[in-house]
This record gives sequence, C-alpha cells and structure tokens, in this order.
Amino acid sequence: MKKFQVWGNAAAAVLSAILTLVPSLEADDSLHKVWAVRDCRLVLPTGPALEKATIVIRDGLIEAVGKDVAVPPDAEVIDGSTLTAYPGLIDGLGKSLLKLPEEKLDMLKFYTGEFSDKDKGLTPEFKAYDYVNLGKATFEKYYKFGFAAVQVMLDRGILAGRSAFFSLGDTDKAKALIPAASCLGIGFSPSGVQAYPNSLMGVQAYLKQLFQDSAYYDMNLTRWLKEPAGIHRPDYSPSLEILADYATGRKPVIFLCRNQNDIRRALALAAESKLDYFICDSGNEAAEAIPELKKAGARVLLAVTFKAPSSSLYAQKGRAERDRAEKEIYPRNPARLAEAGIPFAFSSLGTDDPKSFTEGILKAVEAGLPKDKALAALTSVPSAFFGLEKVLGAIEPGKLANIVLAEGELLVKDPKVKVVFADGRKWEPKDTAGKTGEKPAVNVSGKWEITGEGFPKLTVEFVQEGAELSGKMVTPFGVFEFTGGSVSGNDISYEMNIAVGGQDIDLYISGTVEGETTRGTIVQGTSGSTEYTAKKIPN
Amino acid sequence: MKTRSTIAMIGLLAAGMTVTSAAADKPLLLRNGNIITVSGETLAGGDVLIRDGKIAAVGKGLSAPGAATIDLAGRWVMPGIIDSHSHIALEGDVNEMGDLITSEVDVRDIINPNDLNIYYALTGGVTSVHTMHGSANPIAGRGIVLKLRWGGSAEDLIFKGAPVTSKWALGENPKQSNFSAPGKPRYPKSRMGVEASIRLEFEKAREYRRKWREYERALDAGRARKGRRPSPMPPKKDLRLEGILEILDGKIWVRCHAYQSEEMLSIMRLCKEYGVKLACFEHALEGYRIAEELARDGVAISTFADFWGYKWEAYNTMPHNAALAAGKGVLVALNSDDAERMRHLFNDAAKTVRFGGMPEIEAIKTLTINPARIMGIDKWVGTIEPGKDADLAVFSRNPLDPFTVCQMTIVDGKVLFDRDGYLADRKKAEEAGKAKDAEKKAPKGETPGGEV
Repeated sequence: MKKFQVWGNAAAAVLSAILTLVPSLEADDSLHKVWAVRDCRLVLPTGPALEKATIVIRDGLIEAVGKDVAVPPDAEVIDGSTLTAYPGLIDGLGKSLLKLPEEKLDMLKFYTGEFSDKDKGLTPEFKAYDYVNLGKATFEKYYKFGFAAVQVMLDRGILAGRSAFFSLGDTDKAKALIPAASCLGIGFSPSGVQAYPNSLMGVQAYLKQLFQDSAYYDMNLTRWLKEPAGIHRPDYSPSLEILADYATGRKPVIFLCRNQNDIRRALALAAESKLDYFICDSGNEAAEAIPELKKAGARVLLAVTFKAPSSSLYAQKGRAERDRAEKEIYPRNPARLAEAGIPFAFSSLGTDDPKSFTEGILKAVEAGLPKDKALAALTSVPSAFFGLEKVLGAIEPGKLANIVLAEGELLVKDPKVKVVFADGRKWEPKDTAGKTGEKPAVNVSGKWEITGEGFPKLTVEFVQEGAELSGKMVTPFGVFEFTGGSVSGNDISYEMNIAVGGQDIDLYISGTVEGETTRGTIVQGTSGSTEYTAKKIPN
Repeated sequence: MKTRSTIAMIGLLAAGMTVTSAAADKPLLLRNGNIITVSGETLAGGDVLIRDGKIAAVGKGLSAPGAATIDLAGRWVMPGIIDSHSHIALEGDVNEMGDLITSEVDVRDIINPNDLNIYYALTGGVTSVHTMHGSANPIAGRGIVLKLRWGGSAEDLIFKGAPVTSKWALGENPKQSNFSAPGKPRYPKSRMGVEASIRLEFEKAREYRRKWREYERALDAGRARKGRRPSPMPPKKDLRLEGILEILDGKIWVRCHAYQSEEMLSIMRLCKEYGVKLACFEHALEGYRIAEELARDGVAISTFADFWGYKWEAYNTMPHNAALAAGKGVLVALNSDDAERMRHLFNDAAKTVRFGGMPEIEAIKTLTINPARIMGIDKWVGTIEPGKDADLAVFSRNPLDPFTVCQMTIVDGKVLFDRDGYLADRKKAEEAGKAKDAEKKAPKGETPGGEV
C-alpha cells in the first residue's frame, strides 16, 4: 500500500489550497467476478431451507440457485458447507446514511418573522439521494448484521422530502441507487416557528388543502397541455409539481406516525385524498389501530424503539407504568400485527444504527414475533412494498446478488456473518482470529497525541470499557466520535468516519500499545495507509 | 381498557354503596337517593332506573326484576355535569397561531382518547365537554362536543348529533397584545380590526360561493350544448372559505370568546347582519352589563364563577356576573376552561348561590341543562328524565355543599368512575406491591433445593 495524502487533500479542500490531490483508488478486485457458493443451507422465502444448495453469482446478479447446479469453470468456489445463505436484509426506512450540512439557526428570523418553507418543515424538494453518504466503514456496520439494502429518507418536518433506495455495494451513490419509486415522507410535526401551520390540527388541515391543491394543479396542467384553448395555465409551482405525483396516487407517500392517533390521521388523509401510502409506525402503536389498518388494507413500516409516546396512557401514568409498558406491551407490537395479518416491514428509524436496529428486532422476536415473519419483514415484504420483488428479497436467479452467508442463524444477537455479497461485491469480516477474545492487557483510556507523516497532529481521547473502545478524535477539521473499537491483548483497533471539506473519509486505525506509546497503521478507505505514533498525554 | 371496567366493577362491590349483581347489559337501578332531576322536583328517597344506557324511569319505590341495584343510602344524584368550554382530550397545541383566520382547522383531527384528563373529569362528575380551539384568532377552528366514554376510541367519544362549533375570539388575544410574536405585527391590532377581519372573511366566502355558482351555471350550459366546448375549469377548493360558508349557512354554531360588553354588542350586530348563529359568548365577564340585549337576542354566556383580573379586559366584573345575567333571562353556563377546575365545577356553581343569590336549582342548571342547551344537546342530556341518556353524577352530599365529594359517575348507564372502588383497588395494588417487595427481601437459602 502506498502512503496516502488524505490529510493534505482534506486541508486543501478546507483551505481552498492550490494543490488538488485526488486520492487514487486501488483497483477494486471484488467486483465483476464469478462465485459459486457450494453446499450451503439456503433459506427460502417460504417453507424449510434447502440443504446442500449451490448459488452461482455472476456480474453482480444471481445466475443460478439449486441443489444440482453445476459450478461454472470460471467461478471462484466458496465452501458453504458450514454456512447458511440468507437474502441480504433490507432496512425498509432509515436515515442513518444521511449526512446533512450543519445549519446555523438564523436568529434574525425570530425578529423579522420571515420564515422560509424549510423553517416550516415544508421541503418536498429535499431528496435523500443528494445527502446520502456511503462509505466502506458504514457499509461494514450494516454487513455485520446482514443488511445489504436500505431505503433512506429524512424524517423531520411536515413534508420531509423524498426517499432513495440503495443497495450497499458501491460507495458511489450513483451506482448504489436502485431506481425504485421515490416515496414522499409526511410528518405530523409542526415546526414550532410562528408560521402556518404550527399546530398539529393545523398540519392536518394544511395537508388536506395541500393534496387538493396538488391534484388541482395536476388536473389544470394536464388539461391545458391537452387543449390549452379556453383554459388558464396554472402558475408554475416547483413544489406542487413534485407533490402532484403523490396527490394523484402515482407515487407513494410514507406517513411518519409518532403514535396511534397519527396513524388514524394518516389513514383519514390517505382515504380522503386517495393516496398510495405506507404507514411508518415510529411510535410502535400500530397494534392499537389494527381494525383501522386492516380495513384500509394499509402497509406498515415498523420501527423497533418500543418507547411509549407521551400521548399514551402509560406515559401519563408515571415512570413505573411507562417502564412496564415499554417492557411488556410495546415490544409486542410487531407480533400483534403479524397475528392480525397486517403486512409490515421493519424500519430503523429511531434505532438508527444496524446494531440497535437488530437488537430491537430481536426484542420483537422475544415478545412473540415468529422468526420467519421477522425475516420476511426484512426481505420479501420490503422488496414487494417498493416494487422490487424481482430485484431484492430472496436468493433467486436474476435477482441482485445481495446474499449473506452466516454460520448458524442470522437473526441472533451476535450473528456470525462470514461473507456478504452486496450488489455482487464480496465482503468478509477482517480476520481478527486470535486477536479478539484475548483479554485486554492495557487500558488506553485518556488522551493521546497522534503524529505521523503526511497528516497534521491529532488528539484522540479513548474511553475503554473492558475490551470495548470508543472515544473522539480532535482534528483541525472538527471533532469526530467513534464507537465499536476493540482492545485485545496489547492491540487496539477502531474505525471512524470523518467529514473533511465535503468529503467523507473512512479511517481504520490499529496499533500496538507499549506503555505510553502506541505504534500502528491508519488505513484510509481504499486509498492507502500510513504509519503513526501516539503518545499518551499525561492527565 | 379492560382494567378500567374491572376497577369500576370491583368498586361497586366495595363499602358504601352495595350492588346486588352487575352486568353490562342488565338494567341498573339506583335506589334511595336524593335525585336532582333538574326538569322537575328533587326527589328525596328517589330511584332512577337505567335501561340500555337510557333513563327508563325516575320515581319512588321503583322495582325492576333482574336489575343490578345500587343502594345510594341517601346520596345525591344530579345529571352528569356538562362543561361547555374546555380544551381537554386534545393532542398538540390548541391554537393554530400561524394565520389570522383558521376556519379550516378542526379539533376533531386531534382528539386523544387516552388523555388522562378525561378520567380526572369523571372524578368530578363531568360526563360531557365542549372541547375547542384556543382564542388566538378572530375566526379559529372547529370545536366538538365529547361524551366522556372513557376507554373508547376518539370516534366513540364524539357526542353524536351535537352541532359542530366555530371558535371566535375578540379583544386582546386575537390582537396578540399579551405576547410578542416575531416579525411584523399581525393585523389586526385594534378591536375594530378584529371585527373587520371577520367581516372581510365573510365577504371573501361570499365571493368564493359566487365563483362556484358561476362554474355550475357554465357547466349546466355546457351540458345543454352537448359538449361542443370543453367543460369549464372548476374553481380551486378552499377549505378555509368552505369553513366560513358553513358558519354563514348556520350549519355550525359560533362560540365567541369575549370580555367587553361593547365588543359583544358590536359582534352581535355583525352576526345579525350576516344571519350567523351566535350561540354563546365565552367568558363574557361583562355579560351582566348587557344582560337585556343578550336575553333579547338569545345569546348565551359561558363564564367563570370567580376568576377574573388576569388581564385588563378581565377586570370589569364580579362573582355576581352569572347570577345577574341569569336573573335577566340570559342562558348561563359555568365552565372550566381548565382540566383542573373541571374536577370541581360543582363548587363553582355553589359560588353563584353565595354571590348573587342564585336559587340553588338555577345554580345546578349552569352545569347541566343550560350548557346542554348552549351546545344543542339538551334533547339527550342535562336533566334526569325518562328517555334521556343515563349520564349521572352521584355525590356524598348536596352537590352545592362545600364538603361534597363526587362518589360515582355514570355515562350511558355505565359506571365509569367509582371512588370507593378506585380506592379499594388502589389499596389492593399497594398491598400486592408490598407483598412482592417482602418476597424479594426474603433470604435466598429458603428456595427449595436451592444450592448454587
């Protein structure tokens, strides 16, 4: 590996320096290969798993699947005899891949009262695609729990903006995007600024009017384009132009529901305005609205936070009652929906990182949700919801090679994921055998100063709890936090994602501790690596 | 939801009142109480028979084979209290402050049937409430009448048949004079302006209707010509103006927040001019000054017993307001405007007897048949007479006695609150909790076969 110039590059970007140093990517040897997974246990959408199956992957797609499938001569063979193959899991709706520009509150507005649509939470033009940040380190967090696809959407405001669907194979978002219908997020949260609508009831009234206006705009324009004689053209409106697709049911909206009352409000709006829609149950109360959901034939995206909303009786009755409900009642929400036959997929909203998301799903399983239903809610259901049933959600010929090979079950607390194919790209966890599991021989908690060639001086502050390492790094470009690092024997390793001058950089840092000094390597994504020395700063 | 009815049932079996048997569909006989019927005499040692959620009979010595019986042992029964001005059971802000006129907004969209204040209201004998938009706007959103069917859904809570209301506000609040909003001051900044903004909206709504009529005529004309020309474009639907049209057509009843007599008189003239149904002034602390005019025009007031002086427009009054206005023939209701005050409105009614010398039965009416008439629900509630909904409040003493306590509240014939039962249930739960704690503290070695 060559030395990288990321810090120089970042500084250049930040300081608008003269030099432009583009980190050159190494050839990505994981792409456009042919693989054959042999003798694996294959999990099917329904029924028992297929034993001793072979899966052939070519050019990013699944070529063949079955017991008697021949291994092509050009295939690299993976011995699957100890592995179970699952379709890559899908996060039906999440926001953790978004990286939004930091915004300063313009205090002047609170004097002038001139709030923009954005201040009011009315941003139909917002596209998740524009703000998504895909990086290898982020992908790995998903892979570790078997996730290979995510629908990304911002979840704030009244018109939250539009979603984008990604297969987590390529960090180039243009390549990672799956062109599914982009959903429009609709929330019931008024902005809190002194502008219409700023109450919950106002939001409901506003939305009723807005859908009518959008449909009217669409009708007016359609009629005018067909026969302009005798008709006034509509005044052009960029937002109505976007909303027209949703108001006429051509594209689906996602209602972000914080409690069961929001769900009923959403169903009423959807029925009145004849929308194509999904209910996102962020408040984990969809089970309280089963008759209504059933009657409406609604499709649900379920969050797994299991927090009692403040409107609930439990939250009003005090801490003890709320805690009890959050332990005993809310985790039953998915199981109750499954029993009622309401179709649902899981959403990571509120849990946000794949680890907590998985923990939430397992809580639902413990509370009575059958595992096959949980798996369906992460595979076949979301793919069907968003019109991707021929692309994702099962290991079948012709579909994207989004496949997880695990030792044993995937839906467990610490799944043993051995290989992930995401969009045909192969990923394996870094071989840490012999390293992890070893008891930490050091405690690195405290501040360290990192120096090395080609990057500015950095300070890292570690928090070590047992073998777990977290902390923050102070750089000239800002402070970046990290979690999920580990200490094993005298070795430490951690990874982090930093944003420098509009560029997102994944760093993998490892080292060996000797007293007050640590020596090791910083790997920057796929661009290269450099050596560093860290000295403990005395307390 | 189940726990609540269990609590009520357990309660019935507890001390104080005795129940022979109880089942949801069975008739219920309340025996041997002082029945304040409001519609007629107060019966000492009277009975009320409830069947299918309705009052079947009121009298002395009633018998009903197979009925569940509650022996009131001389307790007092009055019609369930009706609070004509409240903001409970709503989620989110009760004011849409973002615009001057918000007639498109509807509190029906934000009913929260799990608001604990509903249950608290039952503990004070309240069985129906008018819950409404706040007073930030000259013409604000729609309000709704709820029957406190605790445990039911939002839809269950809605008092079927009750007219929808429109909340208006005059004076300091719509002028936004008691708080500062950012930006340019919102029009209007004067009382004249508040009234003008209402008139202006009426005219806009009339213009809107004209446009639709024109369109309909053009459509008819087009049909007559058998489609030789493309059909005309319809006007754009405007939910705000459609809300105003409902007011102009008298479909919804106006409930107008006001303090000062002058602005009340002025808005009464405006409503007459446009043929608007002005049902009631809210607060109306200066109502006693224009009692004749209010009585003449049939405009009611919904007021406080002794709450005033909290801003300059609320000074010119006294606790005699209700009695003075009622004495001149004004329909008067006492209201809470507050979830806490709602739980002891009967105390407020008693104050009108103390201040202003209102006859006791008239004081009871300010919480029952009067608000029922103001809210257009007097066909169903407000008195204890056969055929009406079995909405009742049982008190330990005369409801106007300062030491009285609400013991039981019945809605549609169902006991939704029972104090004795609630207390017994709570005691049980406390004891169970203690027993559990004691178990935890027991030494570990006692576990059978317990060797670890």
